[in-house]
Amino acid sequence: MMWRFGLFDSTAFDSTFEPLVSTYWALCIALALPLLLGLLAALFPPKRMWPVALASLPLLASGLVLLFAFEQAGLLRWQWQIAGVSLSLRLNGLSVLLLLTTQWIGVAAALYTPGVLRLGEPEPLSRWLWPLMGALLSALSLIWLATDLLTLYIALELMGLAAVGMLLLSGKVAALLAGMRYLLLALVGSLAYLLGVALILGHWGRLDLQGLADVVEPGPVAWIAGALIGAGLALKAALFPLHGWLSPVHSNAWTPVSALHAALVIKASLFMLLQLWSILLPDTFYAPRVIAWLGVLAIVWGGFLAWRTDSLKILVASSTVAQLGYLMVVFPLLLGPDIAPLSRALAWEGFWLQLMGHAFAKSAMFLAAGNLILATGQSTIKGLAGTSRRLPLSLLVFGIASVTLMGLPPSSGFTAKWLLLEAMLISQQWWAVAALLVGTLLTAAYVFRMFRYSFDESAPRHRYQPLAPGMDLIALTLALIAFALGLLAHFPLELMHGGGV
Amino acid sequence: MIASFDAIETVLALCLTAVALVCLFDRHLVRACSFFVVFASVMTLAWWQLGAPWLAAAELVLGVVLTGLCFFYALGRISPGDSPPLTYDSFNEPRSRATARLLLALAWLVMVGVAIRYVIADMVYSPAEHPLLLAGVVITACALAAFALHRHLLRRLLAFNVLGSGVFMLLAGIAGTSAAAQALITVGLCIAWLGSMLGALLIRQLVHLEGADALGRDGEPKERAE
Repeated sequence: MMWRFGLFDSTAFDSTFEPLVSTYWALCIALALPLLLGLLAALFPPKRMWPVALASLPLLASGLVLLFAFEQAGLLRWQWQIAGVSLSLRLNGLSVLLLLTTQWIGVAAALYTPGVLRLGEPEPLSRWLWPLMGALLSALSLIWLATDLLTLYIALELMGLAAVGMLLLSGKVAALLAGMRYLLLALVGSLAYLLGVALILGHWGRLDLQGLADVVEPGPVAWIAGALIGAGLALKAALFPLHGWLSPVHSNAWTPVSALHAALVIKASLFMLLQLWSILLPDTFYAPRVIAWLGVLAIVWGGFLAWRTDSLKILVASSTVAQLGYLMVVFPLLLGPDIAPLSRALAWEGFWLQLMGHAFAKSAMFLAAGNLILATGQSTIKGLAGTSRRLPLSLLVFGIASVTLMGLPPSSGFTAKWLLLEAMLISQQWWAVAALLVGTLLTAAYVFRMFRYSFDESAPRHRYQPLAPGMDLIALTLALIAFALGLLAHFPLELMHGGGV
Repeated sequence: MIASFDAIETVLALCLTAVALVCLFDRHLVRACSFFVVFASVMTLAWWQLGAPWLAAAELVLGVVLTGLCFFYALGRISPGDSPPLTYDSFNEPRSRATARLLLALAWLVMVGVAIRYVIADMVYSPAEHPLLLAGVVITACALAAFALHRHLLRRLLAFNVLGSGVFMLLAGIAGTSAAAQALITVGLCIAWLGSMLGALLIRQLVHLEGADALGRDGEPKERAE
């Protein structure tokens, strides 16, 4: 399992080359540029889309340079010694994919932001959105690359605080109350993580993941540390019984912030959870099954919430809870004893494809929902009546994104679910198959409920606010990427195969 | 020499626990915040005693001065504006909910105790040799109970900070004061300060917009809570 994360002892497999100088530059740009650009934008807030587009070009280029460097040289690893603490970063196929996902969604959200700020009512705090967004993207990029618990802790906290700050900026009382609750829960979650790390450091005396993977043996310390870290990260990832903070936070936040949060922030905690559990609890039977049963409940409950709600943003946010359930159901195929190698490999590919497809589709869906809300001035589903004539493009984007969420062919959701179903059939996990099917039906139910209102032709005509040029186009691009990930799935899957071989 | 060493640690541990309890369970908010500053100062002494002067300096700057300032700002004592300063927590919990949360905190105490027993094997024979570690266990359990029990946002923020200090104490007790442990604790202190600052700004803004009643609603909208 560990080699899939690109984690193995560098002395045993000394096939990794010293990284080229150009990759150092690309790495610096990928990690530091978002933060620097964010600070710059706080001083000179961009009013149009083109300065943002121009500034984000080097960021996208750095991601592509790292992609090509990985394709040529395989696993890349950078190491430093600072004040007696050794730090190392690694780049395998999975990190490249997640880094590219982060950069593309981050740039899309940043491009979308000037339009929202210009059309919405002017807010005194809006310029602070930029540095927080920059810090968030830098921290996320660091999480995909980090290989020790200290760096992961720093990046996780930076990400958490930046996310809380962004969610608060709209300044309404409901947003402040929801944000305060999120802040307290996130901080306590990180303390649980820290206590787990303390147990690991006290018992095995090291923090680097490669070294830990060699020395960790199952026992009470590994179980309790795994439980503490798991509880802390599950709280931050809004896994099922701990998802209560998610909907209120999203229903009051600005649209690009919601898109970034649902697409990336939650996934980062999930990524860390899987990575750390595959070190601490590689062969436990019960822990992944508990997660999977909770995942079944998450699919049903999240789908039910999304089906019953009246608010468009809560519909999209509750659908996140249900979609995270799909990822939780896969846990017993990734972790645990006696899994057939084929089903584990299929589950691994399906898991990450589902995660990336959901990231693109959910961010597209939030942007489309934000467009609809901004144009109609209504945040309820009933308020969308008659939008099919006036805002066909926003509805189209919503539709393409929901095709991916439902898992209809040829979207990435379909390809991912196909892989997952195959893995589940091979290992004969019938209840997981049932959960996937129920989830698809529920997704269809809440999506078509929304479309039923929007295609109501008898609705009276309202005055719609025109959107800034390009706002629909950005959402459409994200939705199409989610679509294309299914058609061109062989490309990301090959990258994941290459991870560590 | 060894006996006197242990005596100092024991006194520090008892002081920490007592001050933490006052800070967590005093309904008078100004007094609770003052006791938090005292608590952070005793933590500074404890880090010094454990042989980590840099950590003591970080605790003094981040914990005592900056986080203390955050709390007094949240109380409205530093820049008195148009909204009145906070003085007293008058929110009450139903008894059944309080009992359930206390049980949860107890379960937590048992779990952490078991984990530490496995990590430090000689704990079983001589628990009194690690007074600061024991204080860390008790403080985390009490702070978690307080965090679950209170509804007042300022008191929950205080409980989080005390919980953080308890976890740092546990970390130092379990893992010693190696470079990695000190780095973890310093990062944790920075995060706790940033979180407290964000929380203090939020509390002030909420009091400004909605009045002090908004602080006890626990994220619920007005209509449902009333």
